[in-house]
Amino acid sequence: MAALSEEVLLVVKRVRQRKQDGTLYLMAERIAWGPEGKDRFTVSHLYADIRQKISPDGKAKIQLQLVLHTGESTNFHFSNESTALRDRDAAKDLLQQLLPKFKKRANKELEEKNRMLQEDPVLFQLYKDLVVSQVISAEEFWANRLSLNNVDHSASNNKQEVGISAAFLADIRPQTDGCNGLRYNLTSDIIESIFRTYPAVKQKYAENVPHNLTEKEFWTRFFQSHYFHRDRISTGLQDIFSECAKQDEKGLRSMVVQGVKNPLVDLLSLEDKTLDEGYGSNSMAPSTSSANKTVKENSNSAIIKRFNHHSAMVLAAGAGKKACLTMKCAGPNWGCASETSSTDGNSRDSDFFQPPVKKVKIQEAIEYEDLHMENGKKTVALNLKKSDRYSHGPVPLLPQQYTTSQDIINSVNCIQQEIANYKPCLTQVMSSSTASSAIAALSPGGLLMQAGSQQAINQMVPSDVQGELKHLYTAAGELLRHFWSCFPVNTPFLEEKVVKMKSNLERFQMTKLRPFQEKIQRQYLSTNLTGHLEDMFQMAYNKFHAWQTRQMLRKT
Amino acid sequence: MKLNIEGLLVYFPYDYIYPEQYSYMLELKRTLDAKGHGVLEMPSGTGKTISLLSLIVAYQRAYPLEVTKLIYCSRTVPEIEKVVEELRKLMEYYSKEAGEKNNFLALALSSRKNLCVHPEVSSLRFGKEVDGKCHSLTASYIRAQRHSNPSLPSCRFYEEFDALGRQVPLPAGVYNLDDLKDFGRRKGWCPYYLARYSIVHANIIVYSYHYLLDPKIADLVSKELAKKSVVVFDEAHNIDNVCIDSMSVNITRRTLDRSQANVETLQSTILKIKETDAAKLKEEYRRLVEGLKEANVARETDIYMSNPVLPDEVLQEAVPGSIRTAEHFVGFMKRFLEYLKARLRIHHVVQESAPQFLKDISEKVCIDRKPLRFCAERLRSLLRTLEIADIADFSAITLISNFATLVSTYSKGFTIIIEPFEDRTPTIANPVLHFSCMDPSIAIKPVFERFQSVIITSGTLSPLDIYPRILDFHPVTTASFTMTLARTCLCPLVCNLRNPQHGAFWEGGEGPVIRNYGNLLLEMSAIVPDGIVAFFTSYIYMENIVASWYEQGILENVQRNKLIFIETPDAAETSMALEKYQEACENGRGAILLSVARGKVSEGIDFVHHFGRAVIMFGVPYVYTQSRILKARLEYLRDQFQIRENDFLTFDAMRHAAQCVGRAIRGKTDYGLMIFADKRYARADKRGKLPRWIQEHLTDGSLNLTIDETVQLSKHFLRQMAQPFKQEDQLGLSLLTLEQLQSEEMLQKIAQIAHQV
Repeated sequence: MAALSEEVLLVVKRVRQRKQDGTLYLMAERIAWGPEGKDRFTVSHLYADIRQKISPDGKAKIQLQLVLHTGESTNFHFSNESTALRDRDAAKDLLQQLLPKFKKRANKELEEKNRMLQEDPVLFQLYKDLVVSQVISAEEFWANRLSLNNVDHSASNNKQEVGISAAFLADIRPQTDGCNGLRYNLTSDIIESIFRTYPAVKQKYAENVPHNLTEKEFWTRFFQSHYFHRDRISTGLQDIFSECAKQDEKGLRSMVVQGVKNPLVDLLSLEDKTLDEGYGSNSMAPSTSSANKTVKENSNSAIIKRFNHHSAMVLAAGAGKKACLTMKCAGPNWGCASETSSTDGNSRDSDFFQPPVKKVKIQEAIEYEDLHMENGKKTVALNLKKSDRYSHGPVPLLPQQYTTSQDIINSVNCIQQEIANYKPCLTQVMSSSTASSAIAALSPGGLLMQAGSQQAINQMVPSDVQGELKHLYTAAGELLRHFWSCFPVNTPFLEEKVVKMKSNLERFQMTKLRPFQEKIQRQYLSTNLTGHLEDMFQMAYNKFHAWQTRQMLRKT
Repeated sequence: MKLNIEGLLVYFPYDYIYPEQYSYMLELKRTLDAKGHGVLEMPSGTGKTISLLSLIVAYQRAYPLEVTKLIYCSRTVPEIEKVVEELRKLMEYYSKEAGEKNNFLALALSSRKNLCVHPEVSSLRFGKEVDGKCHSLTASYIRAQRHSNPSLPSCRFYEEFDALGRQVPLPAGVYNLDDLKDFGRRKGWCPYYLARYSIVHANIIVYSYHYLLDPKIADLVSKELAKKSVVVFDEAHNIDNVCIDSMSVNITRRTLDRSQANVETLQSTILKIKETDAAKLKEEYRRLVEGLKEANVARETDIYMSNPVLPDEVLQEAVPGSIRTAEHFVGFMKRFLEYLKARLRIHHVVQESAPQFLKDISEKVCIDRKPLRFCAERLRSLLRTLEIADIADFSAITLISNFATLVSTYSKGFTIIIEPFEDRTPTIANPVLHFSCMDPSIAIKPVFERFQSVIITSGTLSPLDIYPRILDFHPVTTASFTMTLARTCLCPLVCNLRNPQHGAFWEGGEGPVIRNYGNLLLEMSAIVPDGIVAFFTSYIYMENIVASWYEQGILENVQRNKLIFIETPDAAETSMALEKYQEACENGRGAILLSVARGKVSEGIDFVHHFGRAVIMFGVPYVYTQSRILKARLEYLRDQFQIRENDFLTFDAMRHAAQCVGRAIRGKTDYGLMIFADKRYARADKRGKLPRWIQEHLTDGSLNLTIDETVQLSKHFLRQMAQPFKQEDQLGLSLLTLEQLQSEEMLQKIAQIAHQV
């Protein structure tokens, strides 16, 4: 295991564990200890498994105790007299830094496991049957469950991204350095904010740093640019940020062109009928053409635009990746965006998916909640992963064979003809006594129906035994699933596992199934309730033996 | 709930009712009983629309012969759709309670842009383009041409509708715009024409003001509506401006140039037609001799609503001989255009009345009043005869002809102002002729005269007596309703900031005021949760303030608390900002929207609940008083209606201020701060013009506050409001069950809610 290249963060020599001298290694993901003179670790714990570390101070021995989640603990004794305390503190400090990182993960996993057990009584029973009774280990039990679950809950497990402060630019307080200069203090957080809010700047950064500019120069130019100072009108082309401003402009415009989804805030469609050109008293409002605008006015409206854009970008950056993606769609090439997102406001195709939003918004707007009787309890929303499955039921994957109506008519005709031509062959009928005895034998409780009397089990077996049987079935099913999932056995790991699983099965049969069988035998003599279970086990054993013999053959 | 409103059984589709709704219905019923007009002010968010609809529908059912139709006019498309949805709710309640399906037909009507289903036409972006394209496919002569030449494009929806749509009336039900479109698509009929056809027999029509008030549209759409209708103007606080806008005309040099081009096209078309189809022109001539008799007969027999652009005298006479032939008319128009061009070649401002203008024109180019009056009608006839496809191209000449008719018809109520340049840019020549309507009653007069009951209602109509005066009608009911509240969910505060001088801004003497404004905003941004909306008095003013705030670093500090979004003159940009603003309020970041009073946001967008926890009104939104048109209007108001200039200006400013601050409160469960950041609001003349439901909560303790005091009071208010507020808290006070409503004591209380003027 040490062969894998791992980053070793700290090596402490002369650490004793169980009265043996050795070396303690702190690595990126685990802590390990190997006895002196050997090249493998006898102790190795993942940080994630460590619940806490205790470093008792007052004791004569300088020790570090690690307590694991499983309850086990490991003691390390720092035995180098001169530096023991320092060594211990170094290890302790490093652990202190590392543990919280992994703790979160560990906790989350634990929580997740806990939650699953609480939510699913069947699973809990299974856990009791298999893990608590030590048929299989907890790791094995969780091995393929958690991974399953991680996929399902990936959405909820995603940690929420932290948004961006709207005033992050304001937080960069320039300080005068005394000789006609300004100092800006940038932190990585601020840079991150700038990049997230203004992707164009990030792009520029990627393009220019470090081949054209140093990082420092880049930011110096950034702060000098009109781009940063929103009220300045673009001055020249030499500024690398003039392009950014243009891109922003484009982004803003495309956002505008995209239109709004909520029809109630769409000012464009607010008016039903605008007055024709030339009518109205205010149509000659101060002309807004830029021709006769002063520079000041232009810069003022630039500020306003920038504020809107800035706020929109901050909002989008905070809304997470998904929104960022749509923002990108809204970028220069939004025209070829996916069909659902291109709700280009002007195309009337949008009608087809406009009504729902509109309806909902209008309904919200006309609703007077307090005029209604408060009706009953709130219902819990059903969270469906596949809603089509819910509404249609399971659909067979194969295309069904349809019979045309002509076929049906034809076959009906056929049957009719057959019936019309039916002539009972009276010489070959059974005698009535044989017939009735056959019917009797085939009726429930009859001679031939005894073996398969399924419903009888309800009445024959008391419910607690039934429950126990159910648990046995689920537990056995789980074990068998583990067993069968090892095939085809093509890795050494699986090989190991299949052997282990086989022994697990045997152990289960001995510790669980047998006592149960004996118990029923004591109470109910005739019925063989566990026959099927036995069969299943037998199947597994057969398979295992077959595999084993083949394995032997191959080896010899 | 089933209510008994003075003997009328009213179905109300909710389990509870606000006391003021009951009171409102009571007043409304009395108005309808008296067959008169009414002015009703009720705060927004108290369920005005549903009260109106419930009562009028009940009235229609009880007295089907007295009230045959409800015409509900609202301002914006979303408003229209909301009304129809509320109506749908009511109708569903009816069919649930009464068991039977009632055979009401209710529908919304909107412009082609919102109703067209033709794949190509509807993809056009602007309403005007859609109208033009539609016209080019469906105009009668185009369709006639298609008989001889089937390869011409057509609109299959219109053809289908024309062939089948008129035979069977639209089945009963409630049709919103989308329902009409669905129906149209399903049947293959044009929803727009279907709706226009159906409004004649519909029980309830919901459409925008213009369909009744703008004579150009009203004449096409609404003139055949039954006399026994109830007309409701909702959100009517700006109705006078709508009236004025619909009758005012502005003529620029560009208009004249385009008209010139139009006239030339007309001339060449006439020549062409003369060679090929002279009979057509002769036929037109004959028709014009007959005069506009048909229209006259219809109007006299009470089928048509009169049209202020089509005065009665015009109908009784034949078109005067001087413009009867097509060439003569074109020549006439040319002469008129030349005259207008000459008038625009001036270097100083001219203001004159319509008679002065007529006198001048007759002296200079010998154009009489009489042919001028027929201009609009004559042009329409000519365009029809010449089979001109794209009417939109001829908008300029149509405008000129409308101006000619108006100027020669009305000697009073209009003024002509010719300005050689804009005030702000005296060096750039940009002559404009404003033909400006000063009397809103001219456009609305036919409505009051024709329809039995006209209800003018809004959340902000104070002072109530001014509307009957400026619209020149006599209401039988004038009432203002307060909002009954279980908790005081609105908190108007007047901050004692000094008012800035508009002009002084440029000299930089406004620094302290702007800084104070900024401090107020900054402080509020720190204590108010979610959304804040701030209104400025004008766009330019806001631009300057934003720039100063930016320089002073105030905005940076505000950004620490909230995101900032700013209204721009561009509607699309503002829409986006609005949506982002809502998104920011929604996800908990909180945002500030800087906006402009009288702007589109202040008129059409609601900031319910967390979208607007505080509104700050910076300054008093006076209209720009230097405008000559406004001065003329003020003069007219003083002379005609004895309304003093200052009264009107204050009234106008306060109704806009009330509109702005009222945006935040949209219901009793909602709450919001209303901060008037100008000490002038504390004066009695301003305060007294706020709606009663705001005034009531404006105590002496909330006047003349410093910024600190404002912040303290706001904090207190917000903390109180953040407590849970349940239905039980309201019940019996501001929310009533049927039993509570019927108690004697409550009925007495309700009687006090309506404040008669």
